[in-house]
Amino acid sequence: MSKRIIAKKLMYALITILIVLIFNYLLFRVLPGDPLAMMMRNPRATPDQIEAVRRLYGLDQAWYVQFFTYFKHLLEGNLGISFVYKAPVAKVVASKILPTILMVGLAEIIAILVGILIGVVAAWKRGTKLDVWTLGFSLVTYSVPTFWLGMILVVLFCVQLRLFPTSGMLTPGKNFISTAALIGDLARHLVLPVLTMSLVLIGEYALTMRNTLIDVLSEDYIITARAKGFRERYILLKHALPNAMLPMITIIAINIGFVVAGAIQVETIFSWPGLGRLMYEALGARDYPLLQGVFLLVTISVVLANVLADISYAYIDPRVKN
Amino acid sequence: MKMSSKKFMMYVVILALIVALAGCGTRQQAPAEPVSFTLGSSTSFDTLNPLSSYMQVTYEFFMLIYDSLVIYDENYEPAPNLATEWSHSDDNLTWTFKLQKGVKWHDGEPFTSEDVKFTYELMMNSGLGYMYSSYLTGITDIQTPDELTVVIITEEPKANILMNTTPILPKHIWADIAEEELETWPNEMPVGTGPYKYDSQGPNFVKVVKNPDYFGTKPAVDEYIFVDYENVDSMAQALILGEIDGATNLNTAQMKQLEKDTNVDVISGEELGFMQVGVNCWTDEASAGNPLLLDKNIRQAIELGINKQRIVDIAYNGQGTVGTTMINPGNFYHYAPTAAELRDYNVEAAKALLEASGYQDTDGDGVRESADGSPLRFDLITIGDNLEEVKSGQLIASDLAEAGIKINNVNMDSGALYDNIIAGTYDMFIWGWGADLDPTVIMGVLTTDQIGGNNEPFFSNARYDELFLMQQAELDPQKRQQMVFEMQQIVYDEAPYIIIIYSNNVQAIRSDRWTGYRQIPDTGTFFYNLTIYNYMNMKPVK
Repeated sequence: MSKRIIAKKLMYALITILIVLIFNYLLFRVLPGDPLAMMMRNPRATPDQIEAVRRLYGLDQAWYVQFFTYFKHLLEGNLGISFVYKAPVAKVVASKILPTILMVGLAEIIAILVGILIGVVAAWKRGTKLDVWTLGFSLVTYSVPTFWLGMILVVLFCVQLRLFPTSGMLTPGKNFISTAALIGDLARHLVLPVLTMSLVLIGEYALTMRNTLIDVLSEDYIITARAKGFRERYILLKHALPNAMLPMITIIAINIGFVVAGAIQVETIFSWPGLGRLMYEALGARDYPLLQGVFLLVTISVVLANVLADISYAYIDPRVKN
Repeated sequence: MKMSSKKFMMYVVILALIVALAGCGTRQQAPAEPVSFTLGSSTSFDTLNPLSSYMQVTYEFFMLIYDSLVIYDENYEPAPNLATEWSHSDDNLTWTFKLQKGVKWHDGEPFTSEDVKFTYELMMNSGLGYMYSSYLTGITDIQTPDELTVVIITEEPKANILMNTTPILPKHIWADIAEEELETWPNEMPVGTGPYKYDSQGPNFVKVVKNPDYFGTKPAVDEYIFVDYENVDSMAQALILGEIDGATNLNTAQMKQLEKDTNVDVISGEELGFMQVGVNCWTDEASAGNPLLLDKNIRQAIELGINKQRIVDIAYNGQGTVGTTMINPGNFYHYAPTAAELRDYNVEAAKALLEASGYQDTDGDGVRESADGSPLRFDLITIGDNLEEVKSGQLIASDLAEAGIKINNVNMDSGALYDNIIAGTYDMFIWGWGADLDPTVIMGVLTTDQIGGNNEPFFSNARYDELFLMQQAELDPQKRQQMVFEMQQIVYDEAPYIIIIYSNNVQAIRSDRWTGYRQIPDTGTFFYNLTIYNYMNMKPVK
């Protein structure tokens, strides 16, 4: 793919991000509910106090003034102050981004590897008992409610087996004697959220992989390859898989883009301090600056992941390159 | 052979991982492990800045870090804290507080009367400190004749001056902050004079440790860790497993589960506040409420027609008591309606009242009409994600149908409901208020000057407003009680708020590990009760 096309794609990506930003800005403000009045519905606060706070956040200004102020500050790299946390949005988001990427990212990697493996095996052994079992497994994990699965795992691993802690990212208030102890504690807390999250994702990857691979395996060129006497493994790896990977790349790209959006349900069950939960809370409190900050991050990562998918197509599929 | 050895290695690695991960679970018993109490809550810390925080759990945290001039003891009486004694002038306008000697801030600086003056003036001038500053209204001057004396001068006699538990902040730290930065100042290392010092903050916890230089009696617990749980089911499990020592804001399902656990002491304690049906009483032309609701008889008939006990039992699973007036029953200022005034659930009485007021079902559709033919049909708005309130709304609709009043249930989120309330574009709604010990805060909600603000039902009553000002300035508790009684009588009679339930908070403590705590007041809660009694008296079981 030429540099010119890549530059063009990045341009489009930028424009998309800008449009989404404007749309988000307006969308949140169409929601009913005055953010400050909601947090100040407090019999202890005087009307003067509420007015003072309104001025502090610029909410006394006309909507178009607020709109341009927002974009001006954005260009300066200033995402504003969160209504709830009374702290810079960048700081609030930054404190949640690593836990999210760690948990969801790990779950994605496991799910992608295991999902593809299951999909390939199922398609290759199509119609056998193995296929029926893996297909069943994928369908169940794909459709099982995340919340329910999480609670079942808690009951099994925490209450019955007492192997892992129920929630959080680290044992609260513990002073760790060494980095190794800290990582060990983190790992114990990571197991269940990652397991829950990846179990739910595996089904999607496995089913897609199986279906596309079965389609590809019934193509004429596979029969030709077999007729030529190539080994089965060679046909699978060199002829079938590359073509079956295209739809997978799309799904993986979309999912990776959403990694930063976190996983509200898993984060809720395990009180994981991530971005999904933060976004949900910000929505409930009409914390516009925080909402915009999180959405900006999600928008950028989803759009970028798609651009990367586009570019990687070119390397996998010669048709796209030309 | 090659394949199987590979497989074998894989099993070994997996097994080693499982053992390693599980092995981390066994707690290493270090010598002199601190006595540590971990408290779970469903509300999280917003900010550590007492000028701008408004979360329940941060309020608890501030009570441990900071001291106030007076605090509430376990009987809700004002007790000495930073002030050891106090007196007032004959005209009740000048209060003199003598301060504790030798108090040091957590950073070692000495505490003086200047800090008190600074804190109060900071809050009064900046308009910040939402959880406290209404207790400072009416103060005109603060003097510091010497380092251990504070003189407070008020415009009118100030009845609640001894209920002012505003945390005193260190002047040597806060004076350097620019006014426009006060609200968003992170206060990452809070410095107070309280029995506990700030230690650390993590992704979902805040930890405080015992202050060795505290001037008062030192508590037995070395450290408290406040942990927030996004999910109360997980919190209950964590309590059963012993990951935490106490839990708050639980629900009935978990209460039933915890009651079976002999290691856990679980209670459903009364909290300050209530859930009410607000009725639009706005007489202005701009009101979009159904004008029939301006008739007091209809409002009273609605109250008569609601089976509050059934709401407590079904919607709240018994966690609460039937409500009547605006101040909670445990409080000194609570007015209990007399038998003649009381409007207990009675469909026949509701029907009779409507009948006598000229509302009859003339067209036989089951809904009564007024003389000019308008049906008694009202919208009742509930907040969609509050399941208890939504259920209550449905029960109210079915109750009132029997009395010939048609209720149309509407769900929306709290922001949308707030908009409708402010604009007066509603008939009735369900919402709740949290209250304080001092009656001024909750009674202030329904004063005429709060219309457009907290006065949601647009209620206006000249006598009520007059009494409100009088009780604020009445230092004799008995006389003040009579005034607050009359205010509650007026609201109960006029019924702009139909108070359905005084709600409870389900809390639990691992009684196999801890002792020395109690419910405050006797039917109240372990935590979130405006006192630090349990934090100071909690002891590990030997």
